Amino acid sequence: MIRRHVPDMQAQTRNDDPQRRENLDPHESLNPVPRLMLGLIGLLLVWAVYYIYTAHPNTRPALGDRRNVEVLAAVPSKAVDGAQIFGANCAACHQAAGTGIPQVFPPLAGSAWVNGGDQVLIQILLHGINGSIEVAGNTYNGVMPAFGDKLGDAEIAAVASYIRSQWSNQGAPVTPESVAEQRKRTADRSAPWNGGAELATLK
Amino acid sequence: MDIPLLLLSSFIIAVTGLFFFIWSLRKGLLDPDAAGAKVIFSLGEIGRIEEPAATGAGQRELQRAMTASHGEPDATELQARLAADASSARPAFVLLGFAVFWLLVASLAGLTSSIKLHEPDWLTQYAWLSFGRIRTIHLNAVAYGWAPMAALGVALWMLPRLLKTTLEGARFAVWGAILWNIGLAIGVGCIAVGINDGMEWLEIPGQVGVLFAVGGAMIGLPLVFTLRRRKVEHLYVSVWYMGAALFWFPVLYIVAKLPNLHFGVEQATMNWWFGHNVLGLFYTPLSLAAVYYFLPKVIGRPIQSYNLSLIGFWCLAFFYGQVGGHHLVGGPVPEWLVTLSIVQSIMMIVPVVAFSLNQHLTMRGHFAALKHSPTLRFVVLGGMMYTLSSIQGSFEALRSVNTITHFTHFTVAHAHLGLYGFVTLVMFGAIYFAMPRIVSREWPYPKLIAAHFWLVAIGFAIYFVSLTTAGLLQGYAMVDASKPFMESVRVTLPWLEGRSIGGALMTLGHLVFATHFVLMALARGPKRSGAAILRPLARTA
Repeated sequence: MIRRHVPDMQAQTRNDDPQRRENLDPHESLNPVPRLMLGLIGLLLVWAVYYIYTAHPNTRPALGDRRNVEVLAAVPSKAVDGAQIFGANCAACHQAAGTGIPQVFPPLAGSAWVNGGDQVLIQILLHGINGSIEVAGNTYNGVMPAFGDKLGDAEIAAVASYIRSQWSNQGAPVTPESVAEQRKRTADRSAPWNGGAELATLK
Repeated sequence: MDIPLLLLSSFIIAVTGLFFFIWSLRKGLLDPDAAGAKVIFSLGEIGRIEEPAATGAGQRELQRAMTASHGEPDATELQARLAADASSARPAFVLLGFAVFWLLVASLAGLTSSIKLHEPDWLTQYAWLSFGRIRTIHLNAVAYGWAPMAALGVALWMLPRLLKTTLEGARFAVWGAILWNIGLAIGVGCIAVGINDGMEWLEIPGQVGVLFAVGGAMIGLPLVFTLRRRKVEHLYVSVWYMGAALFWFPVLYIVAKLPNLHFGVEQATMNWWFGHNVLGLFYTPLSLAAVYYFLPKVIGRPIQSYNLSLIGFWCLAFFYGQVGGHHLVGGPVPEWLVTLSIVQSIMMIVPVVAFSLNQHLTMRGHFAALKHSPTLRFVVLGGMMYTLSSIQGSFEALRSVNTITHFTHFTVAHAHLGLYGFVTLVMFGAIYFAMPRIVSREWPYPKLIAAHFWLVAIGFAIYFVSLTTAGLLQGYAMVDASKPFMESVRVTLPWLEGRSIGGALMTLGHLVFATHFVLMALARGPKRSGAAILRPLARTA
């Protein structure tokens, strides 16, 4: 098929008109680079240096490659970020400023449940609440999910410490050890706390 | 060691080295009169019009637009040109024939997957027609079929002309092309039945990929042989791009396919190193080579500036290799790597602007010729799309823009602006010019060329605008935490339908083109021949 459709180039019948009528092959003149181009190059180089300098990419380059669950688990989780956990899990209801939503979700700012003893706060986080609870003078009848299965001791401690230190709250930090202790204390429990009444019995 | 400091200092040292290197290649970068590049050209120069689709009146008008002074090429010049074309005709024809075949396969597969995005219940009864497979077939038929076959075919055809010699080792290229296409057919079959390597752009199994490596190397051999017997002192800029691309591709492909080497995050990094480089260091340089050849060829003017060519080429070579990381912005890859890829993406503005300026300054005063020459029309439009897609790509790499556009249709639209708007259009233009010289026949139906142009130009405009809009709406919906995810899908629906309409027009244009190509190859249709070269005639390129 190829043979048939590509004509023999030596044949007399070939049409060489295209080759006759075309321009010479191209070449390049030697005009100087426009100043605009040089200015652009300079500008981009300055930007590049500025970008690398300000981006300051300083995370560990070894992160990520060929590590399995065991290796990752062995990494000490010292840097648990309470603010980040709050943003991901709590802020949707309690709001970023800890104000809650009137009539629906109770505030954390100025809440006695948050600022009081750490035991009750930890228990709320571990098991959640389903029942009426009075916060800062208003009664709420919502549901708070349990985080005991989702967050580890260090994470619960971090987020509890975070909400106790924000929005003019002044509770003492919570340690992972006390979270572990509380977790053990109610290890058998699977249902959420039945409102403020049951929580009061914990004190 | 402090990573930011290390990165900053190595960037500064490397860039300093790069510009010193370019300067040393062309001592006196700003000097308007150094005699380096004059040797390539025999004599004369100037505007004989090259006018495939116009009528007699159009021809004359074009000729006037060109301020032409021309004559018959001298006998040796003509003989050299005929000998060059004769030596490359067979491999170029084989490669272009395969290219047109894969263009049709890819168009139909692409159109099918596009329709499936808004009609998800359509054709669900066949596994090989499910979206995941047919879209992948589309990608591979373009990436390993149409684009490289067309680009390599055109490259092999240009090479002996630019080196003023005959193509050496054409046979290797023909057999290489056959091996390559057997590999591609098997590869596409593998994807259809669900066997693949699981990385985008690298889906075809490594065992089959061996055929690409061997076939590709065989297609590259004539370049090496022909370079060795070149009869020119100075290598024209197109030759740099072709030579580099034929060297870069095997390196990229073989490294990417090495078995048991890439794992985890490093594998993802490699995947996009390959995915982006195959665009920027393979299709792009081959297409730029074609623009650098056909644009000045058709209008009969020299390229504006050798200095700009140097900056364009070496900055592409230097900056491009590291930009792939911007596909992983926000991913768990080393931060310095992503930062560097963003910087190099923006630095790509340098070679892009250098190229665009060079083309624009060459074209200046000759835009009227666009009305007449299909080759020029496709090539110039393609060159403009290169500028647009590259600048767009640079800014997409920025973290602030990436937040919105990543994982949306916007990226897909951008990819098509590059691989379709630029590479494909340029290849159409190149094929319109080269084919009459390959088969020694004129295009039988100039009207079909016009139909092809308008179908793909209008189709692609609809395609690009629709899909870009879809991507932006989708991106903004996804970053809005108050909206459910489904909302980000719903907003794209009318625009995805628009994309299918654009895609259908493009496919129709390709059918027109393929029909014309086959008619010409089989010598069907009216014979449009004639020797009157000084008298403008209605003839095809």
